[in-house]
Amino acid sequence: MKRRDFFKTSIAASAAVLGTTSLAAGETHQPNETRQVSKYAFPEKRPLITYSDRPPLLETPLSVFTQEFTPNDQFFVRWHLPDIPTHIDPDTYTIHINGFVKKELKISIQELKTDFEQVEVNAVVQCGGNSRSAFTPIPGGIQWGSGAMGCAKWKGVRLKDILDKAGLLEGAKWIGFNGREKAAYFKTPNFVREIEIDELDDHVIIAYEMNGEDLPYLNGYPLRLVLPGYYSDSWVKMLSNITVTDKYKSLFFMDKAYRVPDNECECETPENLAKKTKPITIMNVKSVIGYPENGAKIYHNSQVVVRGVAWDGGYGINKVLISLDDGKTWEEAELKEDLGRYSYRAFLFGFKPKKYGKLNIMAKAVNSLGEEQPLSKDIGWNRGGYKYNGIHVVNVEVV
Amino acid sequence: MKKIVLLTALSISALFAQVKESVEVPYIPFEIKMGKGFDAVQADCLMCHSFGYILNQGPQSRKFWRGKVDKMIEEFKAPIDKKDAKIIEDYLFENYGNGKEQ
Repeated sequence: MKRRDFFKTSIAASAAVLGTTSLAAGETHQPNETRQVSKYAFPEKRPLITYSDRPPLLETPLSVFTQEFTPNDQFFVRWHLPDIPTHIDPDTYTIHINGFVKKELKISIQELKTDFEQVEVNAVVQCGGNSRSAFTPIPGGIQWGSGAMGCAKWKGVRLKDILDKAGLLEGAKWIGFNGREKAAYFKTPNFVREIEIDELDDHVIIAYEMNGEDLPYLNGYPLRLVLPGYYSDSWVKMLSNITVTDKYKSLFFMDKAYRVPDNECECETPENLAKKTKPITIMNVKSVIGYPENGAKIYHNSQVVVRGVAWDGGYGINKVLISLDDGKTWEEAELKEDLGRYSYRAFLFGFKPKKYGKLNIMAKAVNSLGEEQPLSKDIGWNRGGYKYNGIHVVNVEVV
Repeated sequence: MKKIVLLTALSISALFAQVKESVEVPYIPFEIKMGKGFDAVQADCLMCHSFGYILNQGPQSRKFWRGKVDKMIEEFKAPIDKKDAKIIEDYLFENYGNGKEQ
């Protein structure tokens, strides 16, 4: 609550200085981290931060992000449409490949596991609207904190291998992915995603396993598309159909949702919305601190170890910097083992708090291209509240 | 493969068992305010999404809520008639408004 109050005050204060309502201009600050886990547990999940039961929307608490892999029972959940199958028979489930192919295919789960090379990839899946509560005025959409994400070891079959088996026809250019979620009304657009065939690489897989277990039902059992480096809107769950086309089909979830302004800062103001937009696609560099948590009390002169995770769209994390003096000086955190360029990179940083009172711990990730996280306030607002990647600031008290 | 073999042998597996039967997503009784127009909200909004979606937006302007209702009609093809659309907008602004028209 304290943090919220702080923001209210700071927003009011800056409005006074500018002599205008700065709210209208669009501002960015630290996301909301005050939400608690619900008392209701969803299937195969522990109680998580719960926004909706239909469709299910669950967020992972920040304290989970001190390790490379996010446990399946704490992995975030985001569906778009209300009607998701409550029963899947793994013995009869098939995935269809059709459209611009030489041979249409229907593949069962067992055939996927036996007729193709089995591969694994460690990859972060993050909602494009993760941390959306950082934007004011609020963009429509779920007001996520920073836990609409997770990292898992995915096992499955290369999409390329499946398409090779079907054989692409001349002119094949786009691939559409459809899952089994359904709307309440027939006319509501289906949640279909399209990617260009050129974007495909060997890391794109159809996964049936996550962290050594079957995919949890709410994470897309029995099959989901794994598109490392990309935001999760393209990681279609309960994947049932892959259609190859020569043309891009106009679709709501591609043309209207999950887009940012098509300019350098990917930003705009509420009064002056950008005319041209582009899809969110590849993730930017970001990190979060999993420990300590906001509002925590830590002991004076004790051995505190700050822990968190850093990631980007697949270039790889080069370093994570920690500041204990509000960004005046930065020190390198220790990076744990590199588990692949699409994975979380866990970091830790030990120190002894020497001064009593309030302390801000900040973490900033830098990737191999030299791209680094900006301060929250330096991130431009956008109407969808997408791609927030501000430097995480955790306020603690040394006692 | 190993899992499938196990399944035949034991005809049950902890992992598969969870989805062999229908899963049940819990019903969450989101505390939504009663007020004028609530019947329309219940009839028209709840078909597609829980009240969690409404509560999560926080207090917003009339323009914001109107935009949301329009989005449901235009983009998601919710069959909400003009009269109900206005009733829902008024309900949302009255109960979850920030007092600002724009």
